[in-house]
Amino acid sequence: MTEPTAHRPDDQSGSTVCVFAVCPASAAPVLSGVAGHTGGGPVRLLTAGPLAVVAQNVPAADFAPETLPERLGDPAELERCARDHHAVITAVARTAPVVPFPLATLYLSDERAVAAVAERARGFVRVLDRLRHRTEWGVKVTAAPGAPAPAAPELAAAPADGRAYLARVRGRQQEREERQEVAWRTAERVYAAVRRTAVAARRLRPQDPVLGGGGPRQLLNAALLLDHHRAAELRELAGTLAADPAIARHARIEVTGPWVPYSFARLDQCDEEERADAVL
Amino acid sequence: MTSTRRTLQPLEAYEPLEPYPPRTANLADILERILDKGVVIAGDIKIDLLDIELLTIRVRLFISSVDTARKAGIDWWETEPALSSRAARDALYDENKRLRERLCELETTSDHRRDRHKESETA
Repeated sequence: MTEPTAHRPDDQSGSTVCVFAVCPASAAPVLSGVAGHTGGGPVRLLTAGPLAVVAQNVPAADFAPETLPERLGDPAELERCARDHHAVITAVARTAPVVPFPLATLYLSDERAVAAVAERARGFVRVLDRLRHRTEWGVKVTAAPGAPAPAAPELAAAPADGRAYLARVRGRQQEREERQEVAWRTAERVYAAVRRTAVAARRLRPQDPVLGGGGPRQLLNAALLLDHHRAAELRELAGTLAADPAIARHARIEVTGPWVPYSFARLDQCDEEERADAVL
Repeated sequence: MTSTRRTLQPLEAYEPLEPYPPRTANLADILERILDKGVVIAGDIKIDLLDIELLTIRVRLFISSVDTARKAGIDWWETEPALSSRAARDALYDENKRLRERLCELETTSDHRRDRHKESETA
């Protein structure tokens, strides 16, 4: 009997198994041309019952708890690592439904990785079924840059006295608050409209405005899970909303995607989020 | 065969309507997804990744300011420990060096004192 040695990692001690994603074994993707992490071996598939585990051997020294966080402290390295990880998952998603893993899910051996996935096979099958023929889209709403200056004809004139000055300051403060309130309400309106195209929706934490540059404030950072055939509908709707003068005056709408459904790949309470979100 | 097909059929025409755009996506969008989202199952090796907010801030700060700042001859981030792991290392190294020097200094003075003490005893 001959041992199938072709895909065995040559040095078990010097490498760690990095897992990117899980997909159905029956829809095994073609991984040639997918590089994975720098310095690692070929990206390959491990079989865990009905599932395929997308994995790669990576240098243990680069992915150790002591070295990896430090490596990711370097923005160029972080970007490379993030994009490499994302590219593997995206490549798998072209031909198969996929459950993505977060960056740096690491195992000591193929056997350990397979065991960890096999243990939760039923959960994975459920999530894969739910994500089938669906993609994630991002809808971001930011405050319009040149927020409308409400009519204030007397603004140019110097204040007559202290009281007038205070009144003006108060007025400006109030005006700012009102503007903010309107911007938030606009974002809510956009969210309510776009989530009707989705089977599930989640609000992600708004991203910070670009530091230093004083970029626009983000009012909404939503993730939507859409059936494939409704993507065009979302884009069209976003276009219509963005063109609506009542919205355009206060907010900008940006649609990103399609994304692999990262935000909806959860083994726990996968049906809970819509209900939880509806309470908001 | 039929039972697996029911739950895990391969997809005919799974291809999304539009191809996924891996290279063009905004880094902050990718980071928030690959650090915070996806199915989390315990790995054998526990990596404590930096907080997404902190990472995003760092990255944005670098992206938005490096070029303009370099042009203006500003390079403070390279020596700011909170922003550069190299600077953090350098700061530790400097501190270590200062402590060693101080220790050396203290040892020498205490040696001197002991010597002087001994001298006065023998005298």
